[in-house]
Amino acid sequence: MAKIIIDSQEVECRDGVTALQAAIEAGWDIPHYCYHPGLSVVASCRLCLMEMKMPHPQTKEMGWAPKLLPSCQTPVRDGMEIRFHTDKVKKNQEDCMEFFLLNHPLDCPVCDQAGECYLQDYSYKFGKAESRMVDQKIKNPKKDIGPHTLLYQDRCVLCTRCVRFAQEVSGTHELCIVNRGSRAEIDVFPGIPLDNPLQGNVVDICPVGCLLDKDFLFQRRVWELKRGESICPGCARGCAISIDHADEKVYRLKPRYNPEVNDWWMCDEGRFGFAYVHDNKRITSPLVRRGKEPSTPNWQDLPAVVRYRFEQFVGEQGGEKVVAVLSPFMANEEAWLLARFIRDVAPQASLAIGPVPFEGEDQNFPAGASGDDIKFTILKEKAPNRRGIESLLESLGGSVLTFEQFVEKTNAGDVKAAWVVGGYPKPWIDKDTAKIANKFDLLVTQDIFEYKFTDAADIVLQACAWTEREGSFTNADGLTQPFHWAIAPPDGVRRDGQYLFEMAGETGLYRAAQVREMMTDSVPTLSQLHEAQARPVHAH
Amino acid sequence: MIHDEDILELSEPSLSPSEKLFLPQILGGMVTTIVHMGKSMVGQHRTVQYPEQKRELRLENYRGVHRLNRDEQGRVACVACFMCATACPANCIHIEAGESPWEDREKYPVKFDLDELRCIFCGMCEEACPVDAIELTPHYDLVGRSREEMILDKEELLSVYDETRELKPRKNPHITGYEGTGGRFHANGDKND
Repeated sequence: MAKIIIDSQEVECRDGVTALQAAIEAGWDIPHYCYHPGLSVVASCRLCLMEMKMPHPQTKEMGWAPKLLPSCQTPVRDGMEIRFHTDKVKKNQEDCMEFFLLNHPLDCPVCDQAGECYLQDYSYKFGKAESRMVDQKIKNPKKDIGPHTLLYQDRCVLCTRCVRFAQEVSGTHELCIVNRGSRAEIDVFPGIPLDNPLQGNVVDICPVGCLLDKDFLFQRRVWELKRGESICPGCARGCAISIDHADEKVYRLKPRYNPEVNDWWMCDEGRFGFAYVHDNKRITSPLVRRGKEPSTPNWQDLPAVVRYRFEQFVGEQGGEKVVAVLSPFMANEEAWLLARFIRDVAPQASLAIGPVPFEGEDQNFPAGASGDDIKFTILKEKAPNRRGIESLLESLGGSVLTFEQFVEKTNAGDVKAAWVVGGYPKPWIDKDTAKIANKFDLLVTQDIFEYKFTDAADIVLQACAWTEREGSFTNADGLTQPFHWAIAPPDGVRRDGQYLFEMAGETGLYRAAQVREMMTDSVPTLSQLHEAQARPVHAH
Repeated sequence: MIHDEDILELSEPSLSPSEKLFLPQILGGMVTTIVHMGKSMVGQHRTVQYPEQKRELRLENYRGVHRLNRDEQGRVACVACFMCATACPANCIHIEAGESPWEDREKYPVKFDLDELRCIFCGMCEEACPVDAIELTPHYDLVGRSREEMILDKEELLSVYDETRELKPRKNPHITGYEGTGGRFHANGDKND
């Protein structure tokens, strides 16, 4: 820990960070555009300049250096003395802001960034109220630089964060600066659009409204959005994300800083992969079939109905023929509640894990990197919680099956009652597997969409998307991360956790933390939670 | 979080002995009543026989039914910035934004619904509008047979403008493109080319 003095206040800071980072972490609001802790330092925006004490070249006496120095490029050293609250520094910030806004079109009312724009924030805090610009502003119309992204050049401050991101993190080098001086602009090379699996991050790191998401364009003003903390279920990586939602609708997903998992980034697949949450083909009410008559039970009666059907089956055919198939899309807590219910009605029942979808190969970034150079990985395992379900099955013991064994046994007639959990965003049952749907005497399905199994099921329960659930996922590195619900499920739908909680014999409201406490004894591995530390308030 | 220095303690003003009697106040009230009685006896009526007679309004700032202004080309002047919806204390404005079909404009309201029944006619929307697109008109006799009818959509709000443009012309210059805004000379009304 180095000790430095900022504005006559002694501050302890991490070794090896820059003065800017140290000041931000200590709570100073230092304006900066080009500095991003995940990218290389270019010190081009000149907003973060500071005063520093240096030895005089001749007398070696310590005194304030006559010129301002970029704090983003100056590493901290023990005993270093810097200051930001001086007229010189303030004058520089004011002048820089005026310079950034020379050609700015002032179209905040129609700009999607308004509300989370650092041009707005900094010009309010550090800038001047009026512009002295007398010349005609340079107009530069928007450019379509890729399938998901628009570039509004006249809002750009040329911080080159996006260019550095394409070079250093995604490693795809699509963006560059063309022209010079006041005509300089960000552009893509002719015929090569910005289209890589991480490109959405350039929109996040753009401190102004220059790079915007086509998906979110004009959908909502950002101050109407509420932020829910969650974990991306797109792959086994488990990136920390926030769900930006309003009026029970998810508008966009943004990455949340987590140095252990995803740093500042997330992939496009996860970012744009939430459309199924608002699909109107979702199952929105439970269904019970007795003979051929389907009926919709009310939620109060359902736990008793399900328990009765299972008890009846176990009484007739024995508990060995009962299987619960836990999906790798379930949260640990939900899976534990279901396993507890099944083992309660049939102690000899088997537990199985549902099929884990794999797509392509693991993708490492920067493209072609290996070992320590890897900054981001998209895994081929497209389910968030295989590790969690596996360690749950291991801890609970008893008979454990793979999905293939489950299908085999069903074909052989050794499994006659099953609770099959889906929750996959894409169709997950192939044709061969679908054939076993009619071989059960009692089939309970829990799924978001109607697939082959739901048509044959005796009891159809709806599952919720992860945005509506609460629990924890265990990612590929074994980190168990909690996620919280952001929106309410569609009308008539009850959260999975809630009805599983009731079926497991509990009363009251399902709360993941409470269930985690209950499961500590039986599954100690999943009770160690990993929560990402929040970033300093003024970091962006 | 409320800081101690922000807390203001107020107490009722104490009454003087004559105020405690209440008699002077009662007499003062009687005087007003008698003066008005006398005025109406000599023909100076304050009562307006609505709807045969209508009050004279201050057209400039009367806060009645809203309108959506049109620009010079007859297009809706609104840029769908949601400032009015954000400022609205009654949450009566519902906008759906879209990419505008015009070259010189970025964004425009695909839908603009204003619930006149929820509205409290405070005029905040007019204050908030950066392009002076939404304004309150002197129209106040707004009637409808259902709640749905009282939710004015974009076309209806534009037609209110067509009806009232003679009565209350749009006062500020229209801003559609954003060229030259913010320039010092422009602010004084000079052209800067």
